[in-house]
Amino acid sequence: MNVTAIKDQLLAKLFRRFPFLFRRWVRHHRFVEFSDSPWTPFRGPLAQSRVALITTAGVHLKNDRPFNMRDPAGDPTFRQIPAQAAPGDCTITHNYYDHSDADQDLNVVFPLERLRELAALGEIGPVSATHFSFMGHILPPHIDTLMHATAPQVARQLKQDGVDAAILTPA
Amino acid sequence: MGLIQRVIEAAGIPTISVTLSRGISQKVKPPRTVYTGFPLGHPFAFAHQRFRQLQLLRLLLGYLQTLDQPGQIVVHKLSRDEDPEQHCVLCDGL
Repeated sequence: MNVTAIKDQLLAKLFRRFPFLFRRWVRHHRFVEFSDSPWTPFRGPLAQSRVALITTAGVHLKNDRPFNMRDPAGDPTFRQIPAQAAPGDCTITHNYYDHSDADQDLNVVFPLERLRELAALGEIGPVSATHFSFMGHILPPHIDTLMHATAPQVARQLKQDGVDAAILTPA
Repeated sequence: MGLIQRVIEAAGIPTISVTLSRGISQKVKPPRTVYTGFPLGHPFAFAHQRFRQLQLLRLLLGYLQTLDQPGQIVVHKLSRDEDPEQHCVLCDGL
């Protein structure tokens, strides 16, 4: 592990341990800001709705390409995770949060097993065939790629898969 | 994450998210988001808290059906002390 990675992981532990430091960082960090929100009404019924998960926790299949941790501006690409994936099939590549709990139980950041349980109980419709994962530490110039290339690509795939609702989980 | 959520919602798929930072959500304005008070790295509670993870999913799906105003940040804190399955590696020594 290089010095930058160690520094990033130490910072992540500090933010987790001292939330006021994280809040202070948020106040001073420049985010892309909006004055309003897009809106698509949920039509339901939930018990017949196909649901997908999208995470920014850096989850990916072990045999898939890891996210690029060497670029300080992040990695705006995404990885696909099939509905049947077991937690043991997946790993996390992300130096910007403390994922020691998530390493023990992937559902902490990507509750695919729990979503399958809700589908089996009939509380939702089918779990979508494919779910998506990003690495949530994207800075310029990659924000443009995220907003205008990779996120729209995921949206198109979700539409093609007939997804009725998407649940997004940060880290 | 809010940026991705905005793109998906704008493409015609209703979305809901967990937020770990109300400050970020106030700036990025995702369509629907819920703050439950869990710490960074724990949008769905702690390891092996199956009960809590299901509860959080149900909470989100409930709000997905009921929220009717774009950009709402729902604050719905869940106390981990109520969860009999609590286990938190990160809490050790706190």
